[in-house]
Amino acid sequence: CAFFTGKLNTGVDTIQHGVEGLMYLLTESSKLMISEIDFQDSIHVLGFSDELNKLLLQLYLDNRKEIRSILSELAPKLPSYHSLEWRLDVQLASRSLRQQIKPAVTIKLHLNQNEDQTAQVLQTDPSTLLHLIQQLEQALGEMKTNHCRRIARNMK
Amino acid sequence: LDDPDLKDIDPAVLKHCHAAAATCILEAGKQKADLSAISTCLEDCKLDKERIEQFCTEYQKNKDALEILLGSIGRSPLHITDVSWRLEYQIKTNQLHKTYQPSYLVTLNVENSDSGSHPDVSFSCTMEQLQDLVGKLKDAAKSLERATQM
Repeated sequence: CAFFTGKLNTGVDTIQHGVEGLMYLLTESSKLMISEIDFQDSIHVLGFSDELNKLLLQLYLDNRKEIRSILSELAPKLPSYHSLEWRLDVQLASRSLRQQIKPAVTIKLHLNQNEDQTAQVLQTDPSTLLHLIQQLEQALGEMKTNHCRRIARNMK
Repeated sequence: LDDPDLKDIDPAVLKHCHAAAATCILEAGKQKADLSAISTCLEDCKLDKERIEQFCTEYQKNKDALEILLGSIGRSPLHITDVSWRLEYQIKTNQLHKTYQPSYLVTLNVENSDSGSHPDVSFSCTMEQLQDLVGKLKDAAKSLERATQM
């Protein structure tokens, strides 16, 4: 701010207000995803020159996507899926029982939570694994049903 | 040990017998011993034929249940027992309007080998991420199938 004060011959406060005003304009516009026309109408009342209005519009359109993706990070979130590793194991013996053949699938689930990555080790047996696959495939299929497609279409 | 038939016997002796029988049964179960091995072992302990036969018959009756019980003792990572999912369509947040995208919320029900219950593992994912997850689980299942055919 001090740097620009010298260059533009105005007070520090003015520069700060200017920057904040610009930030607010761009953030609100991006958040609401307003159209070009609405944006132009909104800044028209500020009484700037046509050239400045054009510059502001361009600034909005160029940066809208990035601003929106940053804003989407602020939403309340659960841990999100990152990746999954798996391993097939067969338990052959334990302290309490010898001569076993017990197959198991060991899974390492990587999740993201607020910039931290956590890894959790889980295990399941073959029949549960097949059950999990069946259930999750059903979940994936849901988005393709008429009901969900209709809602997605009408919401836009 | 509270059985009225046994009240005439010295409690200390009774406890010894119980402990001995339990140890014998558990060792036989652990080693997956067959009936001839058990019979030989009991013969060495100077039990008569009738008692050995009775013991072996009872053991045979309960052998499978015993093996299941012994096999379930031990530590293992959290065990997944079930999965539930929720599909939602996001419209807006207070920071961002018009988001319009589907997202899945998946909950894995898990069990601890020690205490039996554990908070479930929940996470959100996009459709692509869920496809990745299901793809990897299917790879694991295919591997299992191949392993069983070897």
